[in-house]
Amino acid sequence: MAVERRPLDTFTLDNGLQVIVLPSGRAPIVTQLLVYKVGSADETFGRTGIAHFLEHMMFKGTATLGPGEFSRTVARNGGRDNAYTGFDATGYHQTIAADRLDLVMRMEADRMAGLRIEEKELRPEREVVLEERRMRIDNVPGALLDESVRAALFGEHKPYAMPTAGYVEDVKKLGAEDLAAFYRRFYAPDNAALIVAGDTTAEAVRKLAEIHYGPIPGRGIEPRHRPSEGPADLPRLVTRADVRVAQPNWSRDYLAPSYRAGDSRHAYALQVLAHLFGGGETSRLWRALVAESRLALSASAEYSPLSLGLSSFGVAAAPARVEAIPDIERAVADQMKRVLDGEVKADEVERTQNRLLAAAIYAQDSLGSGPRRYAAALATGNDIADVEAWPQRIAAVTASDVTAAARHVWRDERAVTSVLKPSGGAR
Amino acid sequence: MRPRVFALVAALVGLVALRAEAIEIQEVKTPLGIKAWLVEDKSAPLVALSFSFAGGAASEPESQKGVTSLMAIMLTDGAGPLDAEAFRRRQEDAAAYLGFGASDDRVGGTLRVLTANRDQGFDLLRLALTEPRFDADMLDQRRAQAIAGLNQAEQRPRTVAERTLMATMFAGHPYSRDSSGLRETLKTLTPADLKSRASALLRRDGLIVAAVGDIDAQELARQLDRAFGGLPDGKPQAALPGWNPPDKPRMLTIERPVPQSSVVMAMPGILRSDPDWYAALILSHILGGGQQSRLFEQVREKRGLAYSVSASLRSSDKAGMLVISTGSANERVAEAIHVIQGELARLRADGVTEQEVADAKTYLSGALALSLDSSGAIAGLLHSQQVDGLPRDFLDHRADLIAAVPKADVDRVARRLLRDDVMTTIVVGKPVGLAVER
Repeated sequence: MAVERRPLDTFTLDNGLQVIVLPSGRAPIVTQLLVYKVGSADETFGRTGIAHFLEHMMFKGTATLGPGEFSRTVARNGGRDNAYTGFDATGYHQTIAADRLDLVMRMEADRMAGLRIEEKELRPEREVVLEERRMRIDNVPGALLDESVRAALFGEHKPYAMPTAGYVEDVKKLGAEDLAAFYRRFYAPDNAALIVAGDTTAEAVRKLAEIHYGPIPGRGIEPRHRPSEGPADLPRLVTRADVRVAQPNWSRDYLAPSYRAGDSRHAYALQVLAHLFGGGETSRLWRALVAESRLALSASAEYSPLSLGLSSFGVAAAPARVEAIPDIERAVADQMKRVLDGEVKADEVERTQNRLLAAAIYAQDSLGSGPRRYAAALATGNDIADVEAWPQRIAAVTASDVTAAARHVWRDERAVTSVLKPSGGAR
Repeated sequence: MRPRVFALVAALVGLVALRAEAIEIQEVKTPLGIKAWLVEDKSAPLVALSFSFAGGAASEPESQKGVTSLMAIMLTDGAGPLDAEAFRRRQEDAAAYLGFGASDDRVGGTLRVLTANRDQGFDLLRLALTEPRFDADMLDQRRAQAIAGLNQAEQRPRTVAERTLMATMFAGHPYSRDSSGLRETLKTLTPADLKSRASALLRRDGLIVAAVGDIDAQELARQLDRAFGGLPDGKPQAALPGWNPPDKPRMLTIERPVPQSSVVMAMPGILRSDPDWYAALILSHILGGGQQSRLFEQVREKRGLAYSVSASLRSSDKAGMLVISTGSANERVAEAIHVIQGELARLRADGVTEQEVADAKTYLSGALALSLDSSGAIAGLLHSQQVDGLPRDFLDHRADLIAAVPKADVDRVARRLLRDDVMTTIVVGKPVGLAVER
């Protein structure tokens, strides 16, 4: 099979900044995404929330830009900007008219080395960070349960157990020096990747990157480590009863390999497995639990290989009634047994592969998806060749690979079962 | 079977760079008289279709609340000889995505299909539109999901706030009723109800279509006649009644056991066809559109009272609103509301600055292009442009229309719209220190 290369250029500046250019002339706009290879999993227990709080403070001024001036300037030039923090990555991105790439690159480089974290800006922003946590987590019973599930699955106080938003009591204590130390330790060109997509060329990006990012010295950042083992006290059951829950939920999460941790040869087969087992309304789980037995209102499976450390494989169902939960557990176990016994055959795998590959074609039609894909891959220890080889590696998965992957991951001693249910009492 | 996977792999890795070109919209008229807008773009091997029919949930009988939405969802739950599962398998085998939904005013759908499977994709569309089954067992499934959705929505502060706002501001008008229905009405709906709703709404008069992608005018005309040609002509039901906006201020709280209260504050706005539309757009951007807006600055940046605070214009066939949304800790939400009220008063009294108007114009002119980053997004824009009755060359003039608005118009529209004497405020949570009706 002849494989053509996608239009992509890549190079690395002398200071270690890796640059990827994805040219596309569909519209006269560009997206710059700068991803730092650091996230909340690089924090320590008792000091959670630093990576995310720092992301907020990155908009609060440098030696040359005032608080809020970064975003104000982007908007005044007809562009949009934002940022995100994950367990392994922190990304900053702008989309703007192609002739303003110089502007956003100058500003992004400026805050890579010149951030000023001032107490008077930190104080109100801490409240903003806590409001964000209230909105996303404290107001949402399912999100609070997820925090407990992660703590059980990855082990109390371990990197992926600590919430990216941070614990409230930690965020309240964090000071300017905590954030500054984290910034000095992790924000450097040799710990970042720059992805530019849109109406530009590799030559233009190289020239601008050398001007703006080139002068910032690399720091020789030490490699990050993640635990290679999960906790010893699995399986566990985690339950949350909450007056705010109107519909119960049942899930089971298994520790799973990622592209870079654990038995990573299963990573591609696990993606196929997640789709055929619980990806949409033709999946095994949906047919058995929703369409046929009516035990559940929905059912799904989820797996992402993009993690620097171990990942998780999740199975979930929304029970039609709380009393149906034991039946759901039995039905899920029955469906898993069929897969483990080798019931998955080539034609089912092939249909699933077609769906995965078609979804990727549709994703390529969108300008924003390219930079996000490369950023997520690079920040979790993968390289460009891995991203480019994804279609072939997915297509190469066989039915026996899928069975082997299920046997590797679906083991009780790697599982956390969780139940979200209504509790009595007034609303 | 095997080679098909490899064909997809080749398509994926072989996708070429997209060409730079201005959006050129053709008008297509099919032999059967269906009209569509088309942007031909061969840079990706797919077609995206966005379409809708006149008439939506607002015109359904009160005793059948939720029927339009459920009907739309169930169009892809089996049609013609195919039951729900067979229909879904067909979609998957064609790598086609087909989905429907209902708003107050319209029933709409989108189709996305790879060039290689175009016939199969449009066949499924034809089946869904002309021979939907509404099988009783699927209806039971969807009904249970819809009721569960309602139960969950009642515990999401933001959704409760939005639904209460609509019920309050539109009391007595069809827009007051949420299109997802009520438990009581959902329980009574039968396949026959859904079928008759489908034949009432899925009609060629009032059909709006936009297509983007790897397809030429002639081929699009052929496919549209195949997909939509079997639908009956004829006007959908009578128009909705007009709306009498609130004439007094109201503040309501709905108690929910959450640490952060959700807030929506709404004033009567303007219709899309109003000559002041662009001035209102600029005003709303200055007030609460993004990270440089007055509300963002005063509520979030200066005081840390919220993570999210924004203002936006909403318009439908019969009504317009200017809506401000935020969320703040129960103990501080009263202050957040107070600060927002203060900013509205200041804007009404002192108007905007020249710099704010200039910045808003730059942003609003540029931002539209930023969102047109996929075939589906472009099709969606061309579709809504037709719903709004805008001309085909509208995008060529939009920036000029925005640029032509003088500051004086924005100030005048601020006085026209920012009226606390007709503002409805809904707070959902356990707010402390608010004087309100309950």
